[in-house]
Amino acid sequence: MIIRQLALRQGRRSLAPQWRSARRWMSSEVDSISSSMQNSLNETHSIESMLNSLPGERVQPIDDETHQTADTENIGTVFAEFKRQRELQKPLGAIVTPHYEPHTLVTNPPRPSDISLELLLASQAHMGHSTSLWNPGNARYIFGIRDGIHIISLDQTAAHLRRAARVVTAVAERAGLILFVGTRPGQDRAVVKAAELSGGCHLFDRWVAGGITNGTQILGRGKVKVVDEFDQEVPGFEEQLVERASVKPDLVVCLNPMENYVLLHECALNNIPTIGIIDTNANPLWVTYPIPANDDSLRCVQVICGILGRAGEEGKTRRLAAAQAGNITFTPADGFVMPGEEKTEQQKLPRVLKLGASIEELEKQDAMGNRPLKKDPLPRNFIEGEVRERVPRFHDAKKDL
Amino acid sequence: MGRYDFRPQRVFQTASQLLAVEHSARRATPPPWFDIVAKTPPSQVLIRPLQRTQPARRGRKPSRLFQPMPIVYPEDKLRAEFFGDHPWELARPKVVLEGDGNDAMHWDWSRIQQPGKRLDGESVVQRQFWLMQYQGLGKNEAYDKARKEFYKYRHLEDIERRVANEEAQATGAYFGPGPLEYGMKLEDRKWEAWKKWATKEIEQRKQLESAVYSGSETDEDSVDAPADPEALGEEPEEPIAAV
Repeated sequence: MIIRQLALRQGRRSLAPQWRSARRWMSSEVDSISSSMQNSLNETHSIESMLNSLPGERVQPIDDETHQTADTENIGTVFAEFKRQRELQKPLGAIVTPHYEPHTLVTNPPRPSDISLELLLASQAHMGHSTSLWNPGNARYIFGIRDGIHIISLDQTAAHLRRAARVVTAVAERAGLILFVGTRPGQDRAVVKAAELSGGCHLFDRWVAGGITNGTQILGRGKVKVVDEFDQEVPGFEEQLVERASVKPDLVVCLNPMENYVLLHECALNNIPTIGIIDTNANPLWVTYPIPANDDSLRCVQVICGILGRAGEEGKTRRLAAAQAGNITFTPADGFVMPGEEKTEQQKLPRVLKLGASIEELEKQDAMGNRPLKKDPLPRNFIEGEVRERVPRFHDAKKDL
Repeated sequence: MGRYDFRPQRVFQTASQLLAVEHSARRATPPPWFDIVAKTPPSQVLIRPLQRTQPARRGRKPSRLFQPMPIVYPEDKLRAEFFGDHPWELARPKVVLEGDGNDAMHWDWSRIQQPGKRLDGESVVQRQFWLMQYQGLGKNEAYDKARKEFYKYRHLEDIERRVANEEAQATGAYFGPGPLEYGMKLEDRKWEAWKKWATKEIEQRKQLESAVYSGSETDEDSVDAPADPEALGEEPEEPIAAV
């Protein structure tokens, strides 16, 4: 349209009679200035008239709350046009080769199957501390000395990390409560993400001493809820929860054991297994499952925390899938009675099964007790000790009794 | 307690003992981790692998048998030589970030320039090592060759940078005051402030001098306020000497 107007304008000028230019040649400068001004005024008027001739489109009032205009009919077509343009422009521009994006370690953490020596090397898991700061208990995890620091053997790191991931998966599958702890600055996002993935708890500011050994005093006011096998809250247990002891974690993952000795010591006192990142200056005896790695590199910590979170996610997914199929993969909490029911004799005095017995014997005993044998994920043969049979589950308590 | 606390490693043993006790009291419930910890026990701790052997020498006990060994690569000597000759190469900024952990595999040292890697001292070392390995050059020969390639590309980089600067300035870019201009500006500011102060000082002194020779009273503000009000009447002789 602009080109057409230009042609029109220039055409008009070229068609103008020649005597005008002759007169301009003869006239003074003031004349030419005033005439050019007249010209521009004329152009302005023509633009104005063109604008006025356009169909009137009123400015749409904007809604204060939603920030939308009243005209929503066009949104669909505009969006379709936007998508079309985007498709058109997709092949344009440079191709970005795969590269390291730091945020993806938190938003989309690696899985236990992604553990590789390259990944660990790139995340600087092999960098230990100065040789003078070492704990000789870590001699097995150390590959050598380079530039005055100990280099951690990545074979050991990968093996211990896989083992820890297997434990996390199994505990999440049995609905154990996993606590992820990383109290150094910058570890918070990774810790929260891992807890979110595995359905556990997280701690990123400070462990209040006595949280486990003196739980009733320190965590007594914390909210506790009773959930069913689908992790949905079951109401009506408030009275029964009042007199119960505070909840303790079943597994603790500690990303910086150096600063959390109190927590690890409390776990040891309460017989709670722990997983920890053990740098070359840390004491490997503080945790149950050490992962020899660099705890000072945020990238390394995010990789390890993400892998363990993904492992927990896998266990959680398995547990929920089993629940969908009607199998319970965990031992329900002790001593609860469904709201509005009496305590049964069976619950008061649970039968005791001798473990180490064959499955047939167990089935026979179950048949005697008129209770169907559910598919049990726990192994029939424990290494030592005996285990009481499970109490009726929440979800099928009515059916069974 | 003792010297070592093995309780974290022995959670399973402790739990099974507790279960045996609780079983008699009919309260036994295994924790959720019980069977998995039984199946995947923690690895052995406090292991000292033997790191080195020493020939038996009369009268000396073998020492440092269990201490980690230093890690040494053949490039280390080349690196020390290059950075000894070019110490300011160490002052240049360097990227230490690894991408996927296989970054070194993507480089081909048959040429000194690598895509995705800045030309630096490490390039010279790797190129020299490649020349020694695959072209059978001697250490010094390879060093000279790699070093001269390095100088050439550094020189080209300088030219490129200068041309880019000139082009940008020719098309209207402005890179702000340089360090010299900035320093000059600071100096000018100090100079102007001093000029102002000096003018004032000169005026004061002139006033004082005129007051001395004419014998008239001086303005109170222009001189230091005298401690004694009676001194105002006297002719100030000392301040001139003092100033």
